[in-house]
Amino acid sequence: MPNPCRLMVNGEIWEGLVDPFETLLEVLRERLDLTGAKQGCSQGECGACTVLVDGNPVMACLMLALEAQNTQIETIESLATQELHPLQIAFVEKGAVQCGFCTPGMVLSAKALIDKNPHFQEQDVRAALAGNHCRCTGYTKIIDAVMSLSTGAKHG
Amino acid sequence: MTHWDALSHVCGKTPYLDDLPFPANGLHVVPFDSPVAHGHVRALDIGAALAVPGVVAILTARDIPGENQIGGIIPDEPLLADHTVEFRGQPLALVVAESNAAATKAAGLIQAEIEALPVCTDPREAAARGDIIGRVRTFEMGDVSAGFASAKHVFSGRAEVGGQEHLYLETQATMAFPTMHDGVRIISSTQGPTAVQRTTARVLGLPMHAIEVEVTRLGGGFGGKEDQATPWAVMVALVAHRFKRPAKLVLDRLRDLRMTGKRHPYQADYQIGLDADLNIVAYQATFFQNAGAHADLSPAVLERTLFHCTNAYRVPNVKAVAMSCKTHVPPNTAFRGFGGPQGMFVMESALCHAAESLGIPTWQLQKKNLLRDGDVFAYGQTVSESQAQTCWDRLESDFQLAKRWQQVEQHNQTSNRYKRGLAVMPICFGISFTKTHMNQGSALLHVYTDGSVLVSTGAVEMGQGVVSKLRAVAASALGVPAERVKIEYTNTTRNANTSPSAASATADLNGKALDLACQRLIDRFRVLLVQDHGGKPQDYHFHEGKVTGPNGFEMTFDALALHAHFQRVSLSEQAFYSPHGLHFDLEKEKGHPFAYHVYGAALVETTLDSMLGTYSLDRVSVVHDLGRSLVPIVDQGQLEGGLVQGLGWMTCEEVAYDESGRLRSHALSTYKVPDLYAAPKEIELICLESNHSYAIRGSKAVGEPPLMYGIGGYFALRHAIRAQQKGPLAFHAPMTPERALLALHTPVREPAPQSVTNAP
Ligand code: FES
Ligand code: FES
Repeated sequence: MPNPCRLMVNGEIWEGLVDPFETLLEVLRERLDLTGAKQGCSQGECGACTVLVDGNPVMACLMLALEAQNTQIETIESLATQELHPLQIAFVEKGAVQCGFCTPGMVLSAKALIDKNPHFQEQDVRAALAGNHCRCTGYTKIIDAVMSLSTGAKHG
Repeated sequence: MTHWDALSHVCGKTPYLDDLPFPANGLHVVPFDSPVAHGHVRALDIGAALAVPGVVAILTARDIPGENQIGGIIPDEPLLADHTVEFRGQPLALVVAESNAAATKAAGLIQAEIEALPVCTDPREAAARGDIIGRVRTFEMGDVSAGFASAKHVFSGRAEVGGQEHLYLETQATMAFPTMHDGVRIISSTQGPTAVQRTTARVLGLPMHAIEVEVTRLGGGFGGKEDQATPWAVMVALVAHRFKRPAKLVLDRLRDLRMTGKRHPYQADYQIGLDADLNIVAYQATFFQNAGAHADLSPAVLERTLFHCTNAYRVPNVKAVAMSCKTHVPPNTAFRGFGGPQGMFVMESALCHAAESLGIPTWQLQKKNLLRDGDVFAYGQTVSESQAQTCWDRLESDFQLAKRWQQVEQHNQTSNRYKRGLAVMPICFGISFTKTHMNQGSALLHVYTDGSVLVSTGAVEMGQGVVSKLRAVAASALGVPAERVKIEYTNTTRNANTSPSAASATADLNGKALDLACQRLIDRFRVLLVQDHGGKPQDYHFHEGKVTGPNGFEMTFDALALHAHFQRVSLSEQAFYSPHGLHFDLEKEKGHPFAYHVYGAALVETTLDSMLGTYSLDRVSVVHDLGRSLVPIVDQGQLEGGLVQGLGWMTCEEVAYDESGRLRSHALSTYKVPDLYAAPKEIELICLESNHSYAIRGSKAVGEPPLMYGIGGYFALRHAIRAQQKGPLAFHAPMTPERALLALHTPVREPAPQSVTNAP
């Protein structure tokens, strides 16, 4: 039985009917046409579907759409509405992007870290991004990109 | 210059296949796959599945209008199994429904009645029974018997190396649309659009011109979408053609893992002979490749194992025998390195065996035997412009090999629990498709009347950055800013009969064709300029978006384009490129198959917790021969990414099938790819600038070679284990923490390596 659902996504309200088992990822991708969050596994194992829920990284394939009511949801699409977020610039300039499939999730996980703790160190980056898999880059340039924004670290 | 697509990627705006708009009247396709690895199909009960609301049809082999055949090299693989299934995960039927949910649900309700037959997952067992795909191949040079007779030391043993899951983050995905005149338009996440086109035409019984294949981009490929993107594309084409409605198929991760092939596991026997000065005098190896149930690309992969079986070493007497063994697992397929890494692993095992027995560091043996110009590979090509020694020397001097070795040895004497290990991995990798005819590229170039430039080639962008390189080529050849150049999606109606984006050769082949096209257009412009303004053609220079010429002549490229158009001069060019001098005689197994070789050396250091078997990869130092890199940030990314993928293959990634042919490493929870913690703590690169005319603008191929540095990860761990465990230890990769722990704490159960010292 479809249920009414009200979501706050990127500062805008969306209302519609969803099935109880529909995931937040499905609703974002299929109803709101926000395809920046990717489906890599649907099992909470790859991180490609990462979005921010009340500022925390969440795997949208594991959260039901109905569960996400009364929260603030941020997707990658919210990040560059006016100008690029410094993380986006850093990812491009440091070469932290290859096929790009993991990138939206990586950027959002990193944003959650930076927003909470601007003085982060390398071990914080590893911990914050440990749930996001990248098969292309070998991670080195991703760490470089995020570290370049730490106020507590040397800029490289 | 950065990766051209990167800006779009970081904004989440890049459309991968599953992100493309799909019409509401489109059909969704989910394959039903065999739950049994080998058997006769007695019946398929589709009643319950058909009753699911939204299900439109269930198609089987009988619904195929053309030939039920997708085998590329050998026609031995049906699109949909009919009477016999030969691996778990083999497609038997297609559920076609109005929604993906309905199709998925219905697929779960199909019952297959299959009479089970014996299952074989072991390549040696298959070989013993004569279950070989294609022919047994033998590369031979010199006289191995005489070589072994003259050797002071002879070592022989077995080596075994596991498979590897590609784990492209974007799973296999495709859609198809019916077009006018009975045609089909396919969008596929494939590395080989022409293979998709050819196979679809065959299965639908249509001419190739009726099938259009477009590739926008891939969320990773690594070889896993070279041939194995094809079946899914053919399936949606079949549905679109039959129902005259759009059709879409995106494999979910679990299906993708169990239905597609992986890197080939190999077993091997080796024997190596050294003279008193520790020069290699003879090497012999037999390779048993686990090909899986169908040929797929296995015969070609097998060939590259032989090409690279002596890696970067001078071996005067070689005999290497290899066979593709038929087993009941999904057909194994291309994966970065394409059989080369497996051949190298066995050679490195032989060297390590010799060094361990002689009580010397393996790297001393490696160093002593590096290739030099004038040496000959077992396949007859003479070594020229070898960088093996140069790379090694830089590794020794800049990365202080000897000192670091000493430190590791000293550490191990004083530390009980944490053991360190160090290994060097030199590489020599041949660049070209080893099937000579595949070494061709094509480019289509349009300049529009506003001076903007559009390029189409056969190259597929999958994250490797080929579009960035092509853009650099066109911009520099036409003397325009890169922003004026757009690289179009890959499409079989613009570039026909293309080779797949594989073999590290994509940028070379397509880039050279593009260079040629640009050159021809410039030549035509120059003729026009001479007509209008005098002087000689070579007086006109194209740079920074301008043309300059004699007597202070200057004109923008954009104005020239418009002017040429009004003068009825064509603004388009098509060019074709194939490198000269490549040949290979399959009967003699000799020739000159490679345009050039890429060299390098890596030093890998690790720390092992000998109580738990867990370890970290501490530092990897690489000297790599990039040539003159067109886009350095892209090439460095390929180096780091390839290295980590290779380390994964050698350390944490273990593909496991049980005896019934069921994939036990069935999800990301049971198959471990390197995450941020498993990746090396530190990677340092030194890029050498050698030159080679076959490389696009001197920028050498970089896709595959770095993967093989990962082999150093296995041997570094082995070195660490050896600090504690001196008994027999099989050469068996990957060295998972579990295997490391077993190696440290249980007596060896596998046959121990043999060694003989000839009487002087
Ligand atoms: S799709 Fe959600 S974690 Fe992989
Ligand atoms: S860039 Fe391809 S998975 Fe990360």
